[in-house]
Amino acid sequence: MNSIRSTWHHLRRSPFQTATAIIIMSVSFFALSSFAIISQGLSSVLQYFETKPEVTIFLKDGLDRSTIENIQNDISKYPNVREIKFVSKEKALEIYKDQNKNNPLLTEMVTSSILPASFEISTSDPKVLEQIASNYQSKVDIVDEIIYQKDLINTLLTWTANIRLSGLVIIIVISLITLLTIFSIIGMKITNRKEEIRISRLLGASKYYVKVPFLYEGIFYGVIGSFFGCLLSFSLSIIYQQPINAFFAPILFIDLNLFSYFLILSASCFLGTLIGYLTSWFSVKRYIKF
Amino acid sequence: MQVTFDKVCKNYSLVNALKDITLDIPSGDFVFLVGPSGAGKTSLIKLILGQIKPSSGSLLIDNVQLNQKHPPFDRIRKKIGVIFQDYQLIPDKTVEENIALALDIVSFPKDRVQRQLDDVIKKANLGNRRFLFPSQLSGGELQRTSLARAIAVEPRLILADEPTGNLDPENSWNLIKLLKDVNQNQGTTIIMTTHNLDIVESMGKKIIYLKNGEIEKITTPPNKV
Repeated sequence: MNSIRSTWHHLRRSPFQTATAIIIMSVSFFALSSFAIISQGLSSVLQYFETKPEVTIFLKDGLDRSTIENIQNDISKYPNVREIKFVSKEKALEIYKDQNKNNPLLTEMVTSSILPASFEISTSDPKVLEQIASNYQSKVDIVDEIIYQKDLINTLLTWTANIRLSGLVIIIVISLITLLTIFSIIGMKITNRKEEIRISRLLGASKYYVKVPFLYEGIFYGVIGSFFGCLLSFSLSIIYQQPINAFFAPILFIDLNLFSYFLILSASCFLGTLIGYLTSWFSVKRYIKF
Repeated sequence: MQVTFDKVCKNYSLVNALKDITLDIPSGDFVFLVGPSGAGKTSLIKLILGQIKPSSGSLLIDNVQLNQKHPPFDRIRKKIGVIFQDYQLIPDKTVEENIALALDIVSFPKDRVQRQLDDVIKKANLGNRRFLFPSQLSGGELQRTSLARAIAVEPRLILADEPTGNLDPENSWNLIKLLKDVNQNQGTTIIMTTHNLDIVESMGKKIIYLKNGEIEKITTPPNKV
């Protein structure tokens, strides 16, 4: 109980250092939680495109049922294939009519005989798509045409990878700055209280006794900083949810899911506590020698 | 608390602060360490507190050898009250908080803390000063606070390093009187370094004269108090 009182005393005595530490922590955790929210959005974007047929193989006319089944079996043997959908000529006509229902001129003269049957294939690994596309490109006796949204998927993958990488780099840099700042602040505080520590040690205080208030202080910065950082990013995501989601429509980029927000907050608080504790522990270890 | 030095030497690079000190201070004794500056008085105090380690020889407190690899200084210090010439009070704590800190460090029974605080503050005549900070106190009051903090923990040994160095004669005598009371009523061993020979000679206690890091003589003059 006295250690908590002592920690509170430390915090109150140097309000500017306390505020600096909390602000730095908050900025770090704002970046971290924002990154988590953006990552979730990016996953939704990827998921959306993943649910779309990624390779469409249009078949030549006149293939018998067993040939079509063989193609389907062959495709299903590729790894990470998520869905193989066979679109018959009749189904293709249905889709065509549905897509052009507002333009009767385009649908009047069309029959199922002029539309090709096709396979729409989705995978969870874009590299497999490339394999399927290149393998079937050469089978000219059965394949009429292959539509592979290679560029779109490649661009999407590059963007998401770049965003994730830059996010990680920013987080690492901010975390390092945070660690060094907290380290310096606790170090300064210990230097300011060197006399008190020395006197306490002379009165019989154990090293643990003098360390504990500083450890609590680090934990305090971690918990409060991560809480405010998350609060800020959550608030911004709520405020800008509509325009962002409208931009990405029909994808739900920001999903106001309480459970995932709770998870981000818990993970941030845990990480904040850990950073605060470890930074303080190292500072205290460095400064308290007697 | 019994303190025994057995052929203790302390060297600071080329300077021999203490040379071959062999000394036994039995439990309940009141001992003065006197001598000129640089005689080794403070080094003896620092050795007992574990602030420095002997270069050779052995130091025993209550028969516990302190030359071991991990001496139990934290445990021993909790049984020692210390009074310094420069008071060593924590500036941003009040008189009461300074004393309470010492009680907290020794894990003084919680239900007795307030009574103990009231008791020692009354004994040290600091009743109307208990909520003041060190910067608001006079030299005598600071030293009485330091004394109150030392006796509050009910120590078995009090180390007083030049406690009267900054005090006027009246305050010096009051402090000595309080220390004498603690020694007589609680059987606390007291080791006090001082330059004030008037006090030393008036007390009728054991006097250890140090010179150039060696024990020059040990005397017990007749009690004049």
